Amino acid sequence: MKLLKLSLSGVRGVVGQALTPELVLDFACAFGTMLPAGPIMVGRDTRKSGPMIKEAVISSLLSTGHEVIDLGLCPTPIIQFLTKKYKVRGAISITAGHNPAEWNALNFINSSGTYLNEFQGADLLDIYHLNRFRYKSARKFPKIIHEINPAEVYFSWLRNKIKIKEIGQAKFKVVVDPCNGAGSKLIDRFMSELGVELIAINNEGNGYFPHDPEPRPRNAGEVASLVKATGAQVGFLLNSDVSRVSLITETGETLSEEYTLPLIASYYLGFQPGPVVTNLSTSMMVEEVAKKFGRQVIRTRVGQSSIIQTMLQEGAAIGGEGSGGLALKNFQPAFDGWVIMGLVLEMMAISQKKLSELVRELPRYHIVKDKIVCPPHRLHSLVAETRKLYPEKEINSTDGLRITEKDFWIHIRASATEPIIRIIAESPSKNRAQLEVDRVLSFLSRLMS
Amino acid sequence: MRKALPLKVSVSGVRGIVGESLTPQIAARFAAAFGTYLGPGMIMIGQDPRPSGVMLKKAVISSLLATGCQPVEVGILPIPTILFLTKEKQMAGAVVITASHNPLEWNGLKFIGPEGLYLKASQVEEFLDIFHQGEFTFVPAERIKPILQEKNAGELHLQKILSQLNLKAIRRRKFRVVADCANGAGATLMPQFLKELGCQVLLLNTEITGSFAHQSEPVAENLSTLCEKVRHFKADLGLAQDADADRLALVDEKGRAPGEDFTLALTVDQVLRKKKGPVAVNLSASMVIDDIVRKYRVPIFRTKIGESNVVEKMLEVRAIIGGEGNGGVIWPAVHPSRDSFVATGLVLEHMAESGKTLSQLIQSFPRYFMLKDKLPCPSELAFQAVTELRRRYSKETTSTVDGLKIIWPDSWIHLRPSNTEPIIRLIAESRSAARTRKILVSFKKELLEIMKKLS
Repeated sequence: MKLLKLSLSGVRGVVGQALTPELVLDFACAFGTMLPAGPIMVGRDTRKSGPMIKEAVISSLLSTGHEVIDLGLCPTPIIQFLTKKYKVRGAISITAGHNPAEWNALNFINSSGTYLNEFQGADLLDIYHLNRFRYKSARKFPKIIHEINPAEVYFSWLRNKIKIKEIGQAKFKVVVDPCNGAGSKLIDRFMSELGVELIAINNEGNGYFPHDPEPRPRNAGEVASLVKATGAQVGFLLNSDVSRVSLITETGETLSEEYTLPLIASYYLGFQPGPVVTNLSTSMMVEEVAKKFGRQVIRTRVGQSSIIQTMLQEGAAIGGEGSGGLALKNFQPAFDGWVIMGLVLEMMAISQKKLSELVRELPRYHIVKDKIVCPPHRLHSLVAETRKLYPEKEINSTDGLRITEKDFWIHIRASATEPIIRIIAESPSKNRAQLEVDRVLSFLSRLMS
Repeated sequence: MRKALPLKVSVSGVRGIVGESLTPQIAARFAAAFGTYLGPGMIMIGQDPRPSGVMLKKAVISSLLATGCQPVEVGILPIPTILFLTKEKQMAGAVVITASHNPLEWNGLKFIGPEGLYLKASQVEEFLDIFHQGEFTFVPAERIKPILQEKNAGELHLQKILSQLNLKAIRRRKFRVVADCANGAGATLMPQFLKELGCQVLLLNTEITGSFAHQSEPVAENLSTLCEKVRHFKADLGLAQDADADRLALVDEKGRAPGEDFTLALTVDQVLRKKKGPVAVNLSASMVIDDIVRKYRVPIFRTKIGESNVVEKMLEVRAIIGGEGNGGVIWPAVHPSRDSFVATGLVLEHMAESGKTLSQLIQSFPRYFMLKDKLPCPSELAFQAVTELRRRYSKETTSTVDGLKIIWPDSWIHLRPSNTEPIIRLIAESRSAARTRKILVSFKKELLEIMKKLS
């Protein structure tokens, strides 16, 4: 099976199988054809397949008449920031975020610096399927521009948005694992601007992933033991394009990536008006936090694009997902790991509390996440079948199936990025959540066998 | 409805109009087929200065990376330099983004095999088979190699040529030279090369802007500015490279262009003067070459038209010099490919060692008059017509290696159906312009009669 997934965030696949030079050329040509004449930015994470894909992307953008601003190795949130700042037509970020090393993806960014909205996404697919691209004739060709220093421009902006004085005075020591992804080395600069002592591991930026680049407890072992050993106040685990962060407390406890959103919400809602946006799979911790500040929580489909579009429509203060990615009003409409790290440190500095103390103030729930591999063409029909397990229950079908009961909720949905069905349940009781997930899992495997 | 778009696939590669027939997707498919054909290894990537070069190059590099090859970028360099470096640096092959003298709207890919040789017809067939099957061997992400870049790689090529020349004699003469690089890839190395040869140089069209100053075919019609500059600069020699820098035309110290055949004649004479050995040229090269090899009593081999045919024969018979009448000189002492730098070096060495001016050297050769013509004719009919002619002239001295060449004691005619266009090409040569014209006209007439009879 050739793994290829299309979504609003872009086109994602296993390199050499689904993701071939020609597929990349076609999608980048479709993007170049869709956008009006003008420059387009291109950046990538550190994956070994990055240059292969970048060369094809640049070729296509030039061939459709666009000047290309080559940002080189650059985390997605920085690309998104620069796209808006330099008023370019759009950008392509080459990264598969949290997916394993054999994957890569094209992430399409519009002129506002956000992922494509559903209309733009549909346009792009139409042009791709039509396979009729607007090529430039060869008499004159656009150029490739290398002059922008992405880190310089981005960090001089971010520096002024967070309370670096207070953070500096706190004399923090932090451990960061950028997983040799796009955050490598830039993390040195960021932490030194904040006046924070940095202990970094997997900071070579060579694209060799010592573990899957997905910020979650099972990948946090190295950071956790270093936090304890060095007496650091916090540990950060990043994905390969710095759009997601999971946290490790000063005691070495690896927090579920679900904590990132409610933790920052519990601080940020204190001074920023507006509702909270999250997806249907995310923990209800954030609901409790929002309730404390008298705010509404709006639940959307899964994916950065849905969260950001809803945030912009609703004027939300914060929007994010249980995967450890979030965006804040007054920063930029993008999931941004730099902002997350900055805000966690700011929160600790202002409150003068330890991270474990701040976490203890959050409600405790037990969330169980599982998944089952399934043929891509049956993904949605199998999800729909699970309705039978919950007859006469009220369901939310915005994105798969979500059932809310008194003592638990469960969300069953087809992944947009992999051929799997995700099952997420949460309850104050761990057993209860696990029971529901197991029930759905065995039901699905029976259907498939 | 627009007419069929031109995409030409031939032994030397693929050419098309950028954005119409030649898209990044087509370039990527060819490169993926090439990478699959050669297997993982280092592949040199060069280009000429056309504005669309970077775009196509990136599509090619992407495919080579995806097939597990390691691209080595050398930037804008002359074709002979890339061929030389492919061998010298033990590459698995090379791809050059170029459409040599085609108009600016065009571009193309040339595929070069190991040893720095163009793919043979049989190899091209295998490679195109992979292209048409569309079954490419893409490697998993962890086996994708990084791109390498080499700056000033051309230096090595110049050093090799210089090491084969009598530098002392050439430098002593402090030749005054006007060089027209036609804004082509030759401009990257010609200034340095002439400086190393101790020449005082006036350079024309050396800016690599990606737009050609004039029609870059180095034929007499395109050389008027150069001729004028040679007179004005009181130069000993004028040089005109084509866009790829594989061919060279000369202008003598009086500002006259003797024709590209003399580039080959002078270099063959110079090499044979110092060392005896076989010579190979194509069927259409001037009979002045026959006179020269007779003088040195060495064997000559006449081959089918096309650089790769000449090269193949040269390697087979261990020829020490050869080439084409269009100014393409092949000197295996450097590398078995047409090379305008080699031609430049040998011509200057000839002038230096003989102490003669270029016009004196040219006068020392017998004077011949060559004329070329073509006759529109559907390709199937063209082959039949030429076959009929072969039958009619079977008692004469002929060569049927490529079409039909009839050879008389002091004249010849070569008739050959074109591979790429529905025409028959006719080339004739004799000791007088009138006689050559007469031969040409009579054969054209005869061909028309045959065509009429056959159809």
